[in-house]
Amino acid sequence: MDMKNKVLVSVVSAVGLAALVAGCGTVSGASGSNGSSSSNVITIGTLYASTGSYATSSMPEYAGLTFWANQVNAQGGVTLSNGKKEKVKIVSMDDQSNATTATTEYNQLITQDKVNVLVTDFGSVLTAPAVPIAQEHKVVLFDQSGTGSNFFTPTNKYIVLTSLQESTLWADSLAQDLIKNNTKNIAIVYADNDFDGTQNNTVVSQLAKAGIKPMIDESVPTSTSNYTTIVHNIDQKNPGAIIELGYQPNDTAFLQAYKASGVKVPIVFTIFPGQLPAIFESQFGASGLAGVSTYPTPPFINVQNVNYGMNLTQFESAFKSAESSLPGHPTGPINFLDVAGYNTGLIIQHTLESAKSLSQSNLRAAVDTFSGKITTLDGNFQINSEGAQVGEALPTGHFVYQNGKLSMVVDAN
Amino acid sequence: MIGLFYALVGLGLNLIFGVMKVVNLAHGDFLMLGAFGAYVSYQLWHINPIVSVLIEFVVFALLGMLIYFGFVPRLVQSKDPEMLSLILFFGVSQVIEALATMAFGVNPVSFNVNMFGPSLELFHQAYPSYLFVPFVVSLVLLALMFFFIYKTKPGTAIRAIMGSRDEAAANGISIHRYSSLAFGIGIGLAAVAGVFAPFVVGGVDPTTGTDLTTISFAIIVIGSLGNPIGTIFGGLVYGISMMLMQTYLPSWASIAPYVLLILILLIRPSGILGRGVRHA
Amino acid sequence: MRKQTTIDLSISLVLVLAFVALPHFYSNLTILFMMAMYMVLSQGVNLLYGLTGYMPFGYVGFFGAGAYGFSIALQHLHFPIVLALIFGVLFTSLVGVILSPLLRLSGAYFAIGNLATSQVIYGIVANSHLQGITGGGDGVDISQYFNQTASYYVMLAVLLVVMVGIIWVKRSSFGLSLQAMRDDSVSVAMSGVNVVRNRMLVWLASAAIAGLCGAIYAWFISFFYPSSVFDVSIGIFAIVFMLFGGQGTIFGPVIGTIILYGIYNVIGVSTPQYFQLAYGVLIVILVMFLPNGVLSLFKRGRRAHGRVLESRPNF
Repeated sequence: MDMKNKVLVSVVSAVGLAALVAGCGTVSGASGSNGSSSSNVITIGTLYASTGSYATSSMPEYAGLTFWANQVNAQGGVTLSNGKKEKVKIVSMDDQSNATTATTEYNQLITQDKVNVLVTDFGSVLTAPAVPIAQEHKVVLFDQSGTGSNFFTPTNKYIVLTSLQESTLWADSLAQDLIKNNTKNIAIVYADNDFDGTQNNTVVSQLAKAGIKPMIDESVPTSTSNYTTIVHNIDQKNPGAIIELGYQPNDTAFLQAYKASGVKVPIVFTIFPGQLPAIFESQFGASGLAGVSTYPTPPFINVQNVNYGMNLTQFESAFKSAESSLPGHPTGPINFLDVAGYNTGLIIQHTLESAKSLSQSNLRAAVDTFSGKITTLDGNFQINSEGAQVGEALPTGHFVYQNGKLSMVVDAN
Repeated sequence: MIGLFYALVGLGLNLIFGVMKVVNLAHGDFLMLGAFGAYVSYQLWHINPIVSVLIEFVVFALLGMLIYFGFVPRLVQSKDPEMLSLILFFGVSQVIEALATMAFGVNPVSFNVNMFGPSLELFHQAYPSYLFVPFVVSLVLLALMFFFIYKTKPGTAIRAIMGSRDEAAANGISIHRYSSLAFGIGIGLAAVAGVFAPFVVGGVDPTTGTDLTTISFAIIVIGSLGNPIGTIFGGLVYGISMMLMQTYLPSWASIAPYVLLILILLIRPSGILGRGVRHA
Repeated sequence: MRKQTTIDLSISLVLVLAFVALPHFYSNLTILFMMAMYMVLSQGVNLLYGLTGYMPFGYVGFFGAGAYGFSIALQHLHFPIVLALIFGVLFTSLVGVILSPLLRLSGAYFAIGNLATSQVIYGIVANSHLQGITGGGDGVDISQYFNQTASYYVMLAVLLVVMVGIIWVKRSSFGLSLQAMRDDSVSVAMSGVNVVRNRMLVWLASAAIAGLCGAIYAWFISFFYPSSVFDVSIGIFAIVFMLFGGQGTIFGPVIGTIILYGIYNVIGVSTPQYFQLAYGVLIVILVMFLPNGVLSLFKRGRRAHGRVLESRPNF
C-alpha cells in the first residue's frame, strides 16, 4: 500500500475520531437539554425500552412516570422545603431492552445530563447496570421495579425500591394461602431467572416450615415457549395446585398449554395476569381467565386510606383523559405498570418536598423520614435500611367470570 | 405430531438452500410475518387461519420471487455466494424486524387456543384441536410439496438444478425461472408455517423471527442440507427430542436442539440422511 | 515495507493516545469504553474471518465465557484482578480448544454451528443447576471490584496490543501463509505449511481476544445477568463493524466501529426502529455493492486512475 493511501487512511481516522467526539456530544443533545444548566427545573433522568423483551412492561411504566410529571407541572411544580416551586423535566433515553445500551445511557444521564434524580427502567435485568454506577457516582437510584435481592446491601446507601416489594417477599402471601387451604400435591414450575427463582425459594422454604414439600419443583429456561409436555407430565400426577412462576411470555405459554390439556386443576397460579390483564384477556378471552389465580395489583386492588397523591378512581379517569399526551399512547384499561410509574413519581415528589436540599445524600435521607408514613394508590410505602421495599404487600386472588364480566376476588391476606 | 409442523418450518429454508446455495437467514422473519398476517386478517376481517394459509402462500410466494430477482442473481455470481448470502439475509432480517416493530408494535400476539373447537378424541387419547389442525395442514402441504417436487415437470427441473446447476443449464433448463419459483415456494412455505406458529410456539412478536431461524436451521441440518426428505426426518427428530427433554430434563430442554445440531454437524456434517458429498 | 509498518504502528498509537486523552474532554466513560471494546472485538473477528474465512456468528459465546471465567476466578478463587483476567482468557481458550472440532466445518455450516455453540454455553451458564458456581439466572455481582477508570485503561492497553498484533500478523510470513491458506488451502498444505495448526492458532487467538473483552467488560459493569453478556447482538455488532470497515484490513474494523457505533449512539438511542432499519439496509447495500468494506472505496478510486496496483490484494 502506498504512501498516498496511508495518508487517506489517517485522514479518515482523524475525521472518524472527530465524528466520535461530535457524536458523543450529540447524544446528550438528542435526549434533552442539560439539566444542571437551568436552575429552576428539576431534571428526572430515566430509561425506557420501546422495543425488545421488556417493552411491554417498560412503556406503561414510563407513561405512568410521565403522567406524574405532567400533573406536577400543571400545578406549577414541586414545592421544595425552602418554599419555592420548581417544575420537573423528564430526560429519557431508549435502551431497547438491551443491558449494554442501558449501561451507556445510565452513565450518560449521570455524567453528561447531570440529572437531579435518577430513575431506572423496568425490571431487574435493566436495573442491574445502574446499581454500581449510581453507587460509584453517589447518586440515589430510584429503582421502580428491579426487585432483585442482590441489589440491596448494607454497603449501598444509594438505592430506593419504589413500586414493588423486594422479590423475596413477593411469594409470602402465595405460600400462606397454600398452607391455609391445606393444598396437597403442589407442583411448581419456575423460569430460570432471578425474579422467579427467588419467589420459588420463598414458597418452598415457607411451605417447608409448615411441613409441606411440593410434589414437583422444577425449573425451566426463561426462554421456554412451549409448556405442553411439562403440563402433560404434571397432570398425570394429579396435582392439587400448579404454580407457574415466569415472565409474561412464560405465563402466556403456560396457560395456553394448560387450557389445551383440558385437565382442571383446583388451583392454577401465574404471576402476570394480575399485572397485565388486558394482554391475557386478548389471548384467552375473559372467560378463559376464570379461575386463574394471580397476585392482583392495582387496579384490581383499590387501596383505601390513600394519604398521598391520587386514589385509584381519580388516577384512572385522569390517566385515561391524558392518554394521548403520554409516550407510547396507551389505550385500553390502565394496568399495574401505569400505576407503578406514577407511584415512583409520587415517591420522588415527596422526597423532593421533604429534602433539605437537592444534594443526593439529603434526597436519600429524606426518603427515610417518610418511609412507612405515606400510603399511595400502590399501598403503604415502607423501605428497610438497605432501601428495599417491604410495604406495598401483594395479596393473592383469582379471576371470576360472571354475566359476561371478568372480575377479581382478592383472597384475605 | 408436532414434528411434522417443524418439518414444514424447515422445508422452505431447505428448498432455497438446496436450489441456490443461498442461506436465508431471514427465514424466521418470514414465519413471523406469516403469523402476523394471519393474526391481522383474523382480527380485521375474521378470516379463519386455515383460509389465510392459502392466501398467504400466494402472496408470499410472489414476494419471494420479487426478492429473488432483486438479490439472488447478483449473489450467485459472486466469489463466495454462501457466505455473502448469509450476511445479506441477516440484513434483510433486520429490515423486516424493524418494519414489523413499526407496524405491529412490541406486544406478542397469539390466537385463542379454542378457536378450532374442543379437543379431538382419537384412539382413547385427546388431541387438542389447536395442535391437530396444524398437524393436518402440515401433512397435506408436505404431501403436496412432495408430489410437486417428484412428480411434476417444474419439480423435476428444480431437482435437476439441485443436483447440478451447470448440467441443468446445459440441458436447457431455465435456471432463473425455476430458481425463482423455488425461492417463492420456499418463502411461501415459511409464511404458511408461520400461520400456525402462535399455536405451537406460543406468542409471536417481531423479534421471534431470530429464534425461529435458529430452530429451522437445527431441523434442516439434522435432516440434511438440501435434501427435502431429510427435513421431515429432522422435524420429527427435533419434535421428539424436545418432548423427551421437557419430560426428563426440562431445565436443559432449550439447549437440546443446539447440542443435537452441533453433534450431528461434527459426526456427520452432511446430516443424518445426507449423501456424504462434502469437500474438506 | 518497514516504513509502512512504522506508519501503521504510529496510527495505532495515536488512536490509543486519543482514547487516553478523551476522558478529560468527555466524561461518559461508558461510551468510550464500549467503543474501544468493539474495536478490539471486531479486530478479533477480523483476525478469524479476514485471515481464515471462518465467520463466527456466535462470537459472543467466547465473550460471555470470558466474563464468567473472570467472575468465577474473583468470586470463588479469590484471585486478584490481573490473575482473574488471565484466568478468564485461559478459560476462554479452553472453551476454544473444546470447540475446535468446529473448524472441520466450512462456510455456512461453521457459522451456524458456531451460533449454536454460543447458545449452548449460554444455556449451561444460565442453568439453575449450576447456580452455586455461575449464579445461574440470579446473575453475577462483583461490584466490590467495580472500578470503571482502571478497567477502561486496561481495555486501552488491550486495544494497543491487539492493534500491534494485527499489524504483525499482516506483515509476517505467518500472516501471508494464512491468507494464502484462505484462498487455496490445498496447495498451501502441499507446500509444507501446517494448515490445521495455523488455523487452530488463529482460532484460539480470536477466542482469547473475545474472552479478554468479556472479562474486562464484566469488570467494567460488575453487575450482570447471563442474558447481558450472551446477547448475540454483541458479536453481530463486531461482525458488522468489521465488514463495514473492510475485512482483512488493519484499520477497517477501527473505522467501521467509529462510524457505525457513533451513528448508533446518535440515532439508535432516540429511534431504535429506524436505526435497525437503516442498519439492515446498510448491510444489504454493503453486500450487494461493496463486499470489501468502505476502505475498498479508496483502492477502487486508485485503480480507476490507473495507478500501480498493490502487490498484495488485502493491504
